[in-house]
Amino acid sequence: MTKTYPKASRPSLDNVSVSIEKGEFVFFIGPSGSGKSTIIKLLLHEVTPNKGRVVVNSKDVTSMRSWKRPHFRRSIGCVFQDFRLLPNRTAYENVAFALEVIGKTKAVARRVVPEVLELVGLGGKEHRYPHELSGGEQQRVAVARAFVNRPLILLADEPTGNLDPDTSIEIMRLLDRINRTGTTVVMVTHDSNIVNQMRRRVIEIESGRIVRDQARGVYG
Amino acid sequence: MRVKYVLSEVLVGLWRNVTMTIAMIITMAVSLTMLGASGLIYTKVADMKDLYFERIEVSIFLEKDVSEQQRTDIAAKLDSDPLIRDVTYVNKDEAYKRFQEMFRDSPDLLSVVKADQLPESYRLKLVNPAEYKAVSDQYSTIEGVDQVVDQSRVLDKIFNLFTAGQNIALVAAIAMAIAALLLVANTIQVAAYSKRREVAVMKLVGASNWFIQAPFVLEAVVAGLIGSVVGLIALIGLKQFLFDGALSTLQGLFAPVTWGEVFLTFPVMAGVGGLISAVTAWVTLRFYLRV
Repeated sequence: MTKTYPKASRPSLDNVSVSIEKGEFVFFIGPSGSGKSTIIKLLLHEVTPNKGRVVVNSKDVTSMRSWKRPHFRRSIGCVFQDFRLLPNRTAYENVAFALEVIGKTKAVARRVVPEVLELVGLGGKEHRYPHELSGGEQQRVAVARAFVNRPLILLADEPTGNLDPDTSIEIMRLLDRINRTGTTVVMVTHDSNIVNQMRRRVIEIESGRIVRDQARGVYG
Repeated sequence: MRVKYVLSEVLVGLWRNVTMTIAMIITMAVSLTMLGASGLIYTKVADMKDLYFERIEVSIFLEKDVSEQQRTDIAAKLDSDPLIRDVTYVNKDEAYKRFQEMFRDSPDLLSVVKADQLPESYRLKLVNPAEYKAVSDQYSTIEGVDQVVDQSRVLDKIFNLFTAGQNIALVAAIAMAIAALLLVANTIQVAAYSKRREVAVMKLVGASNWFIQAPFVLEAVVAGLIGSVVGLIALIGLKQFLFDGALSTLQGLFAPVTWGEVFLTFPVMAGVGGLISAVTAWVTLRFYLRV
């Protein structure tokens, strides 16, 4: 599969072929501009490849019509470096918002949201606003929001990029726990510490090509 | 739940940007008022044309010292003319009666003019009012004829005035509509910007496109509808205070505008206002949100 952005001199991802099994935990590593983030965008159907196919949850999303995208995304959770929480809503409301905008009732939210907040270790802090929470806690809210809909896949784009090493490890423990429930976790990072500790499958990308694909790998 | 969410988002959106909302409503209202007024003028002009052309006459006024022979010659010629449908002879007494009838509100004028001063005339109804010129040419040179006057000439001038008024209202309506359109587009952009975080999260978690767009589109539609209500109130005011008030002395001249007709313009104004807003908002969102 190849992805070239318009006006780019070389492809962002060049003839890349990767298969990730259900329930796997995969790191994509590589220097900035290597094409890691393009992988996340392809999986979210934010961009489409110029050549080849992208298949997610046994659905070919290469030629998926854009009006089908919203429904497709409900099976994918997403976490980012900058958390992307709504500043004027509490932890509870941030998570509930993700449910309500896809048509779940308030009753469902009342049942599910405290559960998932408990799971990410924020029991008792439901009614704090993002600015009243630490960075690690904010990322926990983001993880809760990504996971509340029980997605098949969790995409994490440098989720520890803004966190100190100790907090990062706590977030990784959380992602590991989510992975153990059967959710596939795809994480883009250049945090060597974490990759080395986790010992999961590592795919290294450089200049748009896969240079290493190693089970139980290290940062290298 | 979702309907309630969308509605509360609409109200919050309108209120958050209240100055812009008011600007949007005012331009929309002025534009729709112009449109409504133009529509009313259009139907009225059509009504009045029917009304007037039904009664329209060509008058042949005779000279004061016309002889009996000349008069009978003219009458015979008129009776046999295929262009003329109907002829009425109006003698001095009758002309004076008509004159008194016409100017009954001006006793000064009535007291000055005597029956003797008014000319005799033939009042003609033409088969086709447009053939006035042929009739005029034929009769104006005959001995004993003073003048041939066609009322439709005068009417045409009046109607041209109405049509001009209607066109001005229409042009103003279009110009204001463009301003309203740009304001709607701008308001929606501002609204979308102030809610960009929510929109980003909604897109991420897979909220459907209509659910993301509905609050913005409805915000514009609500403003458009409020604008049309204000437009209706303006038209009611125009009828009450201008047409029935200040211009009431001219009422015999115009076909009356009924309340029914005023209220009938509302669905049109509301439809146009709502539709323009909705389409503009939707197109703006296509470009701005890329959903």
